[in-house]
Amino acid sequence: MRILIRQHKQAWASLKKKPGFVLTVLMTMGITLGALLCAITLNYLLLVEPLPYPDQDRLFVAEHGVTGAKKETKGLAFTYPGLVHLYKSKAAFEQAAIMSYGEDVIVSHNSQPLVNTAYITPELHQILASPLALGRMFEASEAMDTHNPVAMLSYNTWQQEFNGNVDILEQKINIRGVSYRIVGVLAEHFIEPELEEIGRETQVWLPFDFNSAGEGQRQSFGNISGNLKFIGLLNKEVSQSQAVQLLTPLVNDRWQEGVAEISFFKGWSIDMRVRPVKEVMLGQSESIAIMLLAGVVGLVLIACANISNLFMARTAEKQRQMAIQAAIGATKKHLFKAMLAETSILMFMSIILALVIAKSGFYIMQQYLGAVLPRVNELSLNPITFGCAVLVTVVFALFFAKLSTRMINYRALNTTLQSSGKGSGLQVSKKTRQVLIASQVALATVLVFANFSLLKDAVKTINAPLGFTTTNISTLRLNFSSTDSPSQEESIPIMAGIMEKLEALPQVESLSQSGSPLDGFYLRALTNVANNERYTPFLKGADQRYFNMIEQPLLQGDNFTRVDRQDGNNVMIVNQAFAKQLKADGDVLGLQLSMGGPDPHKIIGIVKDIAIPGETAIEDDGSAEYTGVPRAYVASRLGAQTFMLKLKSGQSVSREQLGKLLAEVDSRYAVFSFNSADDILTQRLFSEITTAVTTAVLAGLVFLLAGIGLYGILSYGTQLRRFELGARMAIGATKQHLVTMIINDNAKSVLVGFIGSVVLFALAYIGLSEYIQPFLTWQVLPMIVATLILITLVTLFACYWPLRKYINKPAIFSLRGSD
Amino acid sequence: MTTPIIKVQQLGKVFSTNDMLTHALQGIELEIQQGEYISISGPSGCGKSTLLSIMGLLDFPTTGKLFFEGKDISQLSMEQTAAIRNKKIGFIFQQFNLIDELSIYDNIALPLRYAKQPTSDKKIKEKVDYCLDVVGMLSKAGRRPTQLSGGQQQCIAIARALVAEPSILLVDEPTGNLDSKNSDQIMATLEALNNQGTTLCVVTHDIRYAEMAKRKVYLLDGRILGQTRFDHQSMY
Ligand SMILES: Nc1ncnc2c1ncn2[C@@H]1O[C@H](COP(=O)(O)OP(=O)(O)OP(=O)(O)O)[C@@H](O)[C@H]1O
Ligand SMILES: [Mg+2]
Repeated sequence: MRILIRQHKQAWASLKKKPGFVLTVLMTMGITLGALLCAITLNYLLLVEPLPYPDQDRLFVAEHGVTGAKKETKGLAFTYPGLVHLYKSKAAFEQAAIMSYGEDVIVSHNSQPLVNTAYITPELHQILASPLALGRMFEASEAMDTHNPVAMLSYNTWQQEFNGNVDILEQKINIRGVSYRIVGVLAEHFIEPELEEIGRETQVWLPFDFNSAGEGQRQSFGNISGNLKFIGLLNKEVSQSQAVQLLTPLVNDRWQEGVAEISFFKGWSIDMRVRPVKEVMLGQSESIAIMLLAGVVGLVLIACANISNLFMARTAEKQRQMAIQAAIGATKKHLFKAMLAETSILMFMSIILALVIAKSGFYIMQQYLGAVLPRVNELSLNPITFGCAVLVTVVFALFFAKLSTRMINYRALNTTLQSSGKGSGLQVSKKTRQVLIASQVALATVLVFANFSLLKDAVKTINAPLGFTTTNISTLRLNFSSTDSPSQEESIPIMAGIMEKLEALPQVESLSQSGSPLDGFYLRALTNVANNERYTPFLKGADQRYFNMIEQPLLQGDNFTRVDRQDGNNVMIVNQAFAKQLKADGDVLGLQLSMGGPDPHKIIGIVKDIAIPGETAIEDDGSAEYTGVPRAYVASRLGAQTFMLKLKSGQSVSREQLGKLLAEVDSRYAVFSFNSADDILTQRLFSEITTAVTTAVLAGLVFLLAGIGLYGILSYGTQLRRFELGARMAIGATKQHLVTMIINDNAKSVLVGFIGSVVLFALAYIGLSEYIQPFLTWQVLPMIVATLILITLVTLFACYWPLRKYINKPAIFSLRGSD
Repeated sequence: MTTPIIKVQQLGKVFSTNDMLTHALQGIELEIQQGEYISISGPSGCGKSTLLSIMGLLDFPTTGKLFFEGKDISQLSMEQTAAIRNKKIGFIFQQFNLIDELSIYDNIALPLRYAKQPTSDKKIKEKVDYCLDVVGMLSKAGRRPTQLSGGQQQCIAIARALVAEPSILLVDEPTGNLDSKNSDQIMATLEALNNQGTTLCVVTHDIRYAEMAKRKVYLLDGRILGQTRFDHQSMY
């Protein structure tokens, strides 16, 4: 034990003399291992760790699979009566809850905040065994059809909107005209299952009865809605597939009854999907997490190659000291132990830094990746992280110590003492250096290429032309503080009054009584009256100023007029893509489309296509095209409660200001949301932006590490060759000769590295083909070329830079051997 | 009088290390004429190697001027000095400085390959073989430097110095790493070369070999202490 301490003291003393070396090891290993611990913990959490709910393996989500006449999937979403029917049937599930997600304004609150709401039946929190900070969860007395207005708050909402008030219970909040009594606050550590959207946190929980679905929707089997969910504990003796078999006829029979009258749905059916909650929450994240891990492992390997090189160079440097130790009787084991003392100190310091970095990494992920990856709020330094940290420390310490001592030729050590001649003694062999260069190049090529491909896709999506402008445009949606909304007739004068006031605002350049193209479309079934063909384009309302404001060109026909809107004319404008779908030649002016009502809509105009990032058309064959989404526009009503404001450039309007303005016209109205189109766009592109930033940072890191590594190896190699360089200079070699020579000598290793990267790709392809396949198109060719050029440039730099100090000085400098 | 191959005027060299200045050479005046055989000798550290490196354009003087075949060296670029080293100067070192990765043949051929005017492979072979023959090493062409004895390696170094047919051979302690038998042989080879017209400047602290030269320069503490000049006139 004492020997061990002494050895570590000695190692520490010797390391202290080499702060540059220590710092390089510490930074390189600390940062990459930090990233590794982060990625491992994330992967463990997502792929292995059970959900934090009792009986989580029996926790399933049921969904309506809406299937078209050709057995194609039209969508995964419930109809309202279908959901209620399933819930009331109590089949297959021991206990089940239904819920409807929404967004609402708390009008009774001073700042009238817009909050995420969930309308639930009481079983939900019972199934999840949700921990509470205050009060209670919903009870049987608040079950379906009781109409008992109570509310539960999330911990954060309690803290932020209600300042953590201890007498929050029994306070009331008003949402859409209903006053809810707050009965409970969820605990800070409650983890909500992210069923609808990753990163969405429900702020206010309300009983299912009060959800925002209108009376029509509650009855309609023809309307599907994505915000309706069913979650439950499967009966112990029922398997997942049995549940599907049990539920499908139950739900489908009722649905067929419900839509028997509607010819549109002829041949359609419902088949139930039952999926584990864990799988639903994981979604696409599994591949993101695995790719992240793969990328980080690559980084660690590059870092490892770098540090190996440093350790070997250090051994070469310490040969004399070790020879002296050997002369006074140190065995190979002694030297290994001494080396191990050094490597373990370095690795210990690195892992401490790595843990700090991992911890910050969790924080960054929670801040910025909450909307991309599920469950990130559960990330923390856990036993798995610490276990990995210990393992990594031990493995790397042993590896570096072994590597360093392996190159000591113990028998030749004594001759080192006698000869102090040039070039004799210990060196990192040429072969080892070549292997290091080749592996460095191979790894860097694979990683940079992978990052480039991801980056390119993300940037392509980010930069894809929208086909309309978002500059200075904001969307205002109104909130009506009462359950039953005013009739069209009643709201027309109110809206007119509001519009008058809005237009009078000095900041406003123009106004349109329609929603933003970025969040206003919904899928709508239409029938071509001429031939009874059915279509499901995206539909939205637009007024006469809509296309002008967003600068979407009208290609043929006419725009809507105010008269169309006033008289409720059944007119429609379609985009090119939809026109092509309707008729191959796209000449559809005058065509009649039915929405199911008695009077069909007549197409009066054709507008150019637009592309909304992240939105894809649902094709019959299930394929999704980024552009060419079919769209249709109908004239918005004069009573419509959504507006687009185009502000004068450099001007802004606040939510409060608008709230006051609305109250002046009619106190029942408040601001529901007021967002700039650019913000909505950024939000929609969030995952692409995140990917772009992450991959760019990773690619940068790879370049940095590979650059440092190649530089280290090549500069060591050049240093070994200084006498040779001197001799060549003495017999007349010019700078150019020598640069060419060094490049030629390393070209082989680089080439081997490139070939190695191809092999790595092939292996990755075999192992992970399902993730990689989509990326393999001819479009990757320029990426490959760009990667090769970049890696080559980095290598050329690493060749030239260490050489520069020899070739730019008189030849005698290289020949003499001391600096 | 023809232009001297090397002419040194008021040459000085100062090394500065850790705030300490070493005046390795001071006020050196020296001329080397075509066909001469000069030895430079003096105690260790007196500046012999430094002077030879400067004359061989491996290093630059701190003060004073150096003319190579009448050209002021300070006016030349790195590329131009490299070209002069390649064509006009043959260097022979105490440590041989052969390149281990290359065969004997390639070592000797190297100066020709660095030359501005390319030499055909056939011509290179002719020249390399000739030089190998001169030093009696024709049979070793395919070997590696590490497979030869010290004396043999020095012979190869001489062959390499000769191959480009330089104006002058600069030799620094050619026998420092050799036993006396090998040393005698090397010195005899060099003397024979001089007799055939090669200009020779040899640094040695072995008095016997210094005496073999036709002109002797003594250095002490970076200054020329004295020169002897045997039958200098007879050379012209
Ligand atoms: N690169 C250098 N930096 C500092 N001082 C140097 C350098 N090279 C040579 N010197 C100093 O210059 C002086 C002359 O050195 P030089 O190598 O020319 O001696 P020398 O006569 O060749 O000796 P020897 O017979 O031992 O080879 C010495 O005092 C030496 O310490
Ligand atoms: Mg010397």
